[in-house]
Amino acid sequence: MGVRRRRHRLAAAGTVAGLMFATAACGSGSGSAGSSDPNTLEVWTRSNPDDAATYDRVFAAFTRKTGIRIDYQPVINFDQQLQSRASTRDLPDVMINDTALMGSYQSQGLLKPVDPASIAGGDRITAKSWSSTVGVDGKHYGIPYSRQAQTLMIRKDWLKKLGLKAPTTWQEMLSVAKAFATEDPDGDGKADTYGIVAPASAQNGYAAMWGSSFLWQGGAEIIKPDGKGKYTPAMDSAAAVHAVTWMKDNLFCGEKGVVQPGAITAVTGTATNFQDGNAGMYMTGPYNITTYDTTPGRKTYEVVPAPAGPAGGDVLADGENVYLGARTGKDRQELALASFLVSPEGQRIAMTSVDGHQPVVRIPVNTTLDAAKVRNDPRWSVVQKAYETASEQFPNAPDFAPIKQDTADALNSIFTYCGGDVRSQLKELNDTLAGDLKDQDLLK
Amino acid sequence: MTAAVPAHTARRAFDKKALVPWLFLAPGLLLALVFKFWPMAKGIWLSFFHVRPFLGNEWTGLDNYTRVLTDHRFQEAIGHTLILGIGQAVGAILLGFALALLLEGQARSLKFLRTAVFLPAVTATAVVGELWRLMYYPTSDGLINSGLHFFGLGTVQFLDNPNIALYSTMAMGIWIWAPYNMVIFLAGLAGVDRSLYEAAAMDGVSLWQRLRYVTLPAIRSALMIVLTLATIRGLRVFTEVYVLTGGGPAGSTDVWMTRAYTLGFTRNDIGGASAASVVLLCVTLLLTVTVNHFRKRGEAR
Repeated sequence: MGVRRRRHRLAAAGTVAGLMFATAACGSGSGSAGSSDPNTLEVWTRSNPDDAATYDRVFAAFTRKTGIRIDYQPVINFDQQLQSRASTRDLPDVMINDTALMGSYQSQGLLKPVDPASIAGGDRITAKSWSSTVGVDGKHYGIPYSRQAQTLMIRKDWLKKLGLKAPTTWQEMLSVAKAFATEDPDGDGKADTYGIVAPASAQNGYAAMWGSSFLWQGGAEIIKPDGKGKYTPAMDSAAAVHAVTWMKDNLFCGEKGVVQPGAITAVTGTATNFQDGNAGMYMTGPYNITTYDTTPGRKTYEVVPAPAGPAGGDVLADGENVYLGARTGKDRQELALASFLVSPEGQRIAMTSVDGHQPVVRIPVNTTLDAAKVRNDPRWSVVQKAYETASEQFPNAPDFAPIKQDTADALNSIFTYCGGDVRSQLKELNDTLAGDLKDQDLLK
Repeated sequence: MTAAVPAHTARRAFDKKALVPWLFLAPGLLLALVFKFWPMAKGIWLSFFHVRPFLGNEWTGLDNYTRVLTDHRFQEAIGHTLILGIGQAVGAILLGFALALLLEGQARSLKFLRTAVFLPAVTATAVVGELWRLMYYPTSDGLINSGLHFFGLGTVQFLDNPNIALYSTMAMGIWIWAPYNMVIFLAGLAGVDRSLYEAAAMDGVSLWQRLRYVTLPAIRSALMIVLTLATIRGLRVFTEVYVLTGGGPAGSTDVWMTRAYTLGFTRNDIGGASAASVVLLCVTLLLTVTVNHFRKRGEAR
């Protein structure tokens, strides 16, 4: 009996010791074996498993070439995880994430400044791309990695059935949207099709991201730089009032079916109507091309430039930069990785889809490459042309996160309450944006 | 000398006895310390700073609290949190109690039914949210709207109408948490003395009187547990709202936690988000203590 009890005690003590060990291991947070090894870089990207498969190929090629190992972490809830890691002052060595977040990261001191001359092949990146990595203090805080611009994906089989052409103006787009919603383009005898997909929820600033192309096409700006490092809010301009009123009256508060049901609570992950085959148009980034080639199918849709508004056809340009985490002490290895990522070889691997996985470089930043030629797909030249000639980016130097969120909150509210007064609601937004800029000491 | 030996042995035995429970508790305490109390303490500390880990935090005193409490979006979120929390708690308690009464018993078929009814409580809230988002789809293709359509009623914009989005979220919350309450009520009902029911039946009392004077007093402890848990859950509601509406449309379903999340992770204002969380912690503590106080007073009587 005594022996059995002793055994039980031993087992209990062992369990306790094991749990304590496991807890201590968990408590060490990011201190994985890789991150402390000087020849291993911890790299984070904001990716789902599909994107991660492409990044795996890119990093494997880098390791083969340089011997530097990569501890790769694809992170879906990137911002949340990054803030957690920042609070422990232990950042990943290298991060790849959106260009518009640079100001936010830089304002928190998360990034190491970068000298463009230290990047091998940095001279093959255009000045336009490099300009998106300049912070408020004039230094570069990132290396351009991938670029993209929105284009209009449109069902060409529906256009053909209804005898319509791809729209080139807002008004034409509205007419096509109404026809898609009412003239049974899929021929199933039911009123179950919609014109345009709109991810217009305020969550994570989606309404501002999707709506920004309309703002620019209408001649509006969210904030305006004064050229001396300060900014003024500009959402109370006549152009902004006109553009937002047009969107509200025609897309959200006009005839039913012009946008998909549930648009004002939709984010990109839930706005799947184009893919589901019940909506005919979607102004979105080219990352969706791989997905849409499977469903609804490559032959069913085409990629065309966004329809122009009264002030032109500019669309939202975005992309990813390579960021170097502050105070990591692995400068040589980090610069080697950044140089590889922007090299023709690195970019080409990242632009190629293997086994149907999503490519992670959309428009290459390396000027020696042509997106359409690398992919042998002329649709990418539409995207590349849109990026080069008819696109605008969110300002990267200020911390744009609060500005984007406040704009999204206001737009979502305007689109929800159809009886509201757009002018006064935008005036209120402008005051809020002035507050955001003042908080950052950037208000002119 | 001879008397000292047994005393020493007794003390050693006592020491050993005292140590064993602590050994068993150690993993839990350690986990709680590392993952609960330490982050909580750090959150309270950060709530007094403008948080900039790499540039040095700036002491701001109570500024974060002032900012959060005077922000109209947070003020609106308090209202939404209370409506959602109270509605969800009351609804889930009533439904849970009704389910417990219906499914109490030893029959095998009841066991199967209880398991089936309990499923929502063990399914990830995010998954339930996705399913309900599909069920709420605002055309006749949506499950609930197709039902309404079948009865000749028009489609309802469950999540896109700012006047009803909060109540749609509440319905989902009730559906998730009622089975959880049901299990606690079932445990409480198992302890009710059956002879009381028989006596009541012989006295010819009505069903309502049986519930009011026999069942409810007997399950008072279970009710208090359910009430305390529901209060805490109601105040910190997050996943249901985040998955279903993201706080929209037009902030009509924004609750305290979604505001704190947006502040922390979309606007990168960790100090403000910490202050908002600390306020929520204080309110939760206050409510829990109040419920506990009334429970003790009720028991004393």
